Amino acid sequence: MTAATAELDEFRSEVRAWCRAHVPAGWRERQTGVPDAEFVAFQQWWFAELRAAGYAVPHWPAEWGGGMPLARQVILYQELAAHDAPRLVLAFVSIHHAAATLLAAGTEEQRRRHLPAILDGEIWVQGFSEPEAGSDLASLRTTARREGGQYIVNGQKLWASGARHADWCLLLARTDQDAPKRRGISYFLLDMRSPGLDVRPIRNAVGESHFCEIFLNDVVVPAANLVGPEHAGWRVAQETLGAERGLTMLELAERLGNAGFRWLVEACARQELLGDARVADRLAAFETEISGLRALCTDLVERHESGRAGPADASVVKLYYSELLQRMTDFGTELAGLPGQTVLRKPASSGWESGAWLLDFIGSWEWTIPGGTSEIQRTIIAERGLGLPREPAA
Amino acid sequence: MTTSPGADQAELAEAREELRAVARDLLGKVRAPAAPDWALLASSGWLGLEVPSALDGAGATFAEVAVIAEELGRAAASGPYLGSTVLGAGTLRALAPSPDADALLRQAAAGRAVPAAVLADGGSADSGVPFRLADGPTGLRLHGQAAFVPDAAEATRLLVLARAAGDGPPVIVAADPRAAGLVVDPQPVVDETRRLAVVRADGAEVDPASVWEFAGRPEDAVRRLLDRAAVAVACDSLGLAEAMLDATVGYAKVREQFGRPVGSFQAVKHACADMLVQLRVARALTTAAVTALADAGADPAAVSAAASMAKAYATETAVEVAGKAMQLHGGIGYTWESGIHRYLKRAALNRSLFGSPAGHRRRLAARY
Repeated sequence: MTAATAELDEFRSEVRAWCRAHVPAGWRERQTGVPDAEFVAFQQWWFAELRAAGYAVPHWPAEWGGGMPLARQVILYQELAAHDAPRLVLAFVSIHHAAATLLAAGTEEQRRRHLPAILDGEIWVQGFSEPEAGSDLASLRTTARREGGQYIVNGQKLWASGARHADWCLLLARTDQDAPKRRGISYFLLDMRSPGLDVRPIRNAVGESHFCEIFLNDVVVPAANLVGPEHAGWRVAQETLGAERGLTMLELAERLGNAGFRWLVEACARQELLGDARVADRLAAFETEISGLRALCTDLVERHESGRAGPADASVVKLYYSELLQRMTDFGTELAGLPGQTVLRKPASSGWESGAWLLDFIGSWEWTIPGGTSEIQRTIIAERGLGLPREPAA
Repeated sequence: MTTSPGADQAELAEAREELRAVARDLLGKVRAPAAPDWALLASSGWLGLEVPSALDGAGATFAEVAVIAEELGRAAASGPYLGSTVLGAGTLRALAPSPDADALLRQAAAGRAVPAAVLADGGSADSGVPFRLADGPTGLRLHGQAAFVPDAAEATRLLVLARAAGDGPPVIVAADPRAAGLVVDPQPVVDETRRLAVVRADGAEVDPASVWEFAGRPEDAVRRLLDRAAVAVACDSLGLAEAMLDATVGYAKVREQFGRPVGSFQAVKHACADMLVQLRVARALTTAAVTALADAGADPAAVSAAASMAKAYATETAVEVAGKAMQLHGGIGYTWESGIHRYLKRAALNRSLFGSPAGHRRRLAARY
């Protein structure tokens, strides 16, 4: 055994011991069907627990409280999944998208204001999509009009996940009506307590209401909250989101492998289906694909860290993860049969590999549609990854 | 093994990329169905990559052999590399050191001998031992049969996996293919780039000095050789499938219909994107399997699992990708002249060789 392996084994034991001491027994049952306030309180408590252990933002730079080597991050996510730990669903945008944006394009002042606040529980939401700007995001119509030292924002945002609980919003708005559509967008940090904001939940296909509409009516955003240069918001969003994809996927892939797949095997064992050749074949195919996904995720993070990532690498991983999740939860639903249809709620604070197969299956469209649909990802892969010609403009 | 600093790993990876570039360049000049010149492969050092430097080899690992296997697939090249170098030399390397085995390994590295491993029925994923030795009044005799053995008909020596007399442990019998009682029958297959044969022994006489023992536990060694066969085939499939995606993308950029390149149509674009995604996954799995096999200290069960995943996924992917390549090339893709059929046929053979995807998944599922 090499010294490096020994060191990683020691870290694994450390995380295991921590998980055994801290993951609350029976949280899934207790968090199933809880009111919103209880879900938020539970999320905040769990975030604080992880933070105290140094496990909340391992992917951040060391100077801001992270700095965990990649090999350790993978182990951390493996063990959290293996011990069925709650997921940080409420802080997801804060610790990933918001942090990545601030680190890549934010001013020193913006970083100092928000990164420590995120560690203290500041919640962020993404305000990108609009009713008329879904897959064609660059067609967004929300405007930000400059008036002295501030911008006046008007418009409507859609699919803002968790907006009801958010303190801050990553906002894309049009600052130049006359420029080509991608060149007239700016990126802002929006205080969700600003006057003129109206947040309304939208019930999704699963029956949950974490997606929201945000109506902006003469909302004032100080010019100091602009991220990157004015009119360069599209570029900022593209760059930060691509870099972020690998890190979010790293955890999700380990969840799929260490929790989702394990439950699938256990479900088959309970029903004495492991001896069924077709079932065994499909299980082995899923294990194979999950292994491939995990290797792709680690590879993507390494490529980003060394500046070797290709322009479509993140899309490859997003597309593959989301469709694999969909196929796997579909199979779980099939296995669960009629008894599976009686599982009416999934635990809050779990991911879409919770073992409530039908709800997870329906929830899997939350991965194949948002963040660029599978169709958009395929177009990105073909055009940017393979260099195929763009579709002629309509 | 002591800790090797990251710099060493980076240097090794860089050396492999150089090897890949040289191989791609050299094999790219060979026009299929012609085979690359074996002497050229020998002088390039590719036949002795894993052979220790004391025996005039490069002293490298399976990771380097895997690079050549992949590039041979990319070129759909014929020749006995799989049977002789990947498996023949690989088998010799797995044996307890002996002057005769070492001499053969030295000759194989130089291209002067072509040993072919007769491990198991090429169609099986299980580590069954296909031959047995029997000790009788007329001396040691070999019995048994293995089908779909790569490159056995071209071999100058057969390395036959057999059970030692009296239901003993697996050993290797180094046999002359022309020996009495030994029959090597070519088995023509649709894929013209590969040569397979049935090897039959019906009481062939065996010199006890040509019975060679494995180093370490024989069962582990046999399992590792079969994993090696499966992963080498996965590498071949990965290479040939990447060649098919490259060809398809290149064609879709220049072929015009309805006044625009067909590659600008979303249906074509998305099919190409799917090919790329599958290939990325296949590469991730194959790299993991190659790394596991190149590590002498790796857990045998983990090596086998990685090998099965790579074999099942990469060889299935290659058939799909080559099939899509034929489809997206349209009518021209269906012609003999386009050569795409060669890739599709090789992909189909690879999928069945050394364990079907279903067989490998059965092996994975046995762990649940």
